[in-house]
Amino acid sequence: MRPARLFFYIVGMLLVVDLLMYAWNVHDKRMAVEGRRAAETVTAALGLTDLCIATEARYTRHPVLADGVVPFMDYPGEIEHFPTGSFWAPPVKAGRLRPSRQL
Amino acid sequence: MSLAKQLNILDYALQGLWRRRLKTGGIVIIFSAVIFLAASFQFTIKALNNLVDQDLQATPEIIIQKMSAGRQESIPLDYIKKLKGIWGIRRVVPRIWGYYFDATTKANYTVIGLNYKKMPMGGLLDKALIKGSLLPGSGEALVGTGVKEALRLPAKGAMLSLFRPDYSLKALKVSGEFMPSTDILTTDTILMNLADSRDLFGIKPGLVTDLCVYVANPREVTTIARKIAARLPDTRVVPKSQIKETYREVFGWRGGFASICLLTAIAAFIIFAWDKASGMNPDEKREVAILKVIGWQTADILGLRFYEGFIVSFMSFLLGCSLAYAHVSFMGAGLFRPILTGWSVIHPEMVLRPGLEFSDIFLIFSLVVPPYMAATIVPAWRSAIIPPDAAVN
Repeated sequence: MRPARLFFYIVGMLLVVDLLMYAWNVHDKRMAVEGRRAAETVTAALGLTDLCIATEARYTRHPVLADGVVPFMDYPGEIEHFPTGSFWAPPVKAGRLRPSRQL
Repeated sequence: MSLAKQLNILDYALQGLWRRRLKTGGIVIIFSAVIFLAASFQFTIKALNNLVDQDLQATPEIIIQKMSAGRQESIPLDYIKKLKGIWGIRRVVPRIWGYYFDATTKANYTVIGLNYKKMPMGGLLDKALIKGSLLPGSGEALVGTGVKEALRLPAKGAMLSLFRPDYSLKALKVSGEFMPSTDILTTDTILMNLADSRDLFGIKPGLVTDLCVYVANPREVTTIARKIAARLPDTRVVPKSQIKETYREVFGWRGGFASICLLTAIAAFIIFAWDKASGMNPDEKREVAILKVIGWQTADILGLRFYEGFIVSFMSFLLGCSLAYAHVSFMGAGLFRPILTGWSVIHPEMVLRPGLEFSDIFLIFSLVVPPYMAATIVPAWRSAIIPPDAAVN
């Protein structure tokens, strides 16, 4: 077999594997209807606003309901020390600190 | 240029790469690893944004919190009366929630107390519980799977003993457990009624943590939020639209931060590739000379080098992206879990499903393949213009 053909076979095989992974993902998503309904129910019934990804600090557990400067506001001159807090985005604009003012 | 000629050059390029398989394999492995990391971050951020879109659709339209001295504090229930007369508000539901740090397990739990019957879909809450669970009555609590695991609660007849602010114990009977499929929302949650949560946190009667506002027409959310902010100037009003905006910002920042780190790795690799490609050994010089002697043109040798660069970078791209997709989809982005969760004791079971969008794939492709080709094209041209007699001699 000429090398170019073998190369195309390998590329094709990798693409088929990718397609199968994607198809499995789509199929799994369709099958997880019950789980999605349960998630929608708890969000609505408990009024949830945040995903539970990092539970180490209150502002990383509920970023939506936290102020932009909250990692540094527990006491004057506080240094932020939580690992997930190190990825905290600085406030884009001063108005974001008081969302009610910018409505 | 005929197709047959191009296929022949491609054949020759592949044979050449196979002859130098140790060097080629090394480059492909390192390059694939760099692409794997970059693509994994891209897919993880995408999947997390998909989770926000999918699971946080039914969130309250507006949340009102009282602010004092730059901090959130309890909001009086009397504030509900002040909202009377704002046209379009369907209902206002008071809620108490907060964090409970368990010194034994070092875990943080989210305690929520509310009358779920007043909430939308509150009547369906039992459908989100595992079999045998009951909705919590007075002196009872529902727990997330993470809480159950952290406290090693038995399957039946479990009791929760939590400390009040004065260190007296409050005992709650565990009436059930949230379904594991809601882990991404509830794994650290303890749900109880309003009176029990008030008792646990020592919050005075007439005060709650926040107010959930539901409006009749979703198009009026911003207008109503403005009116609420005008009537209650000492509050923070969080409309639903801000949820997605906040997550885009947080995930965008995390993804951007990681991308900068990874771009440095990609740049370092490209410098390495340039260095490798520019330093031709005598065998390679002799090969170019022989090819020229037997009739290859400079353009053919440039084509040969182009194919070599493309095969290496494209195969690395394909391998890296495939592994990244498998890593995010089937392993829940396990390598990035420590970055995403930090010192968290409770870790939710995350089912990440990155959607494949052309823009993401193209972004990763343009970050890795063209720079690699560009880094190797000048050394390729230099090798192609070697006079055959100079190389042979």
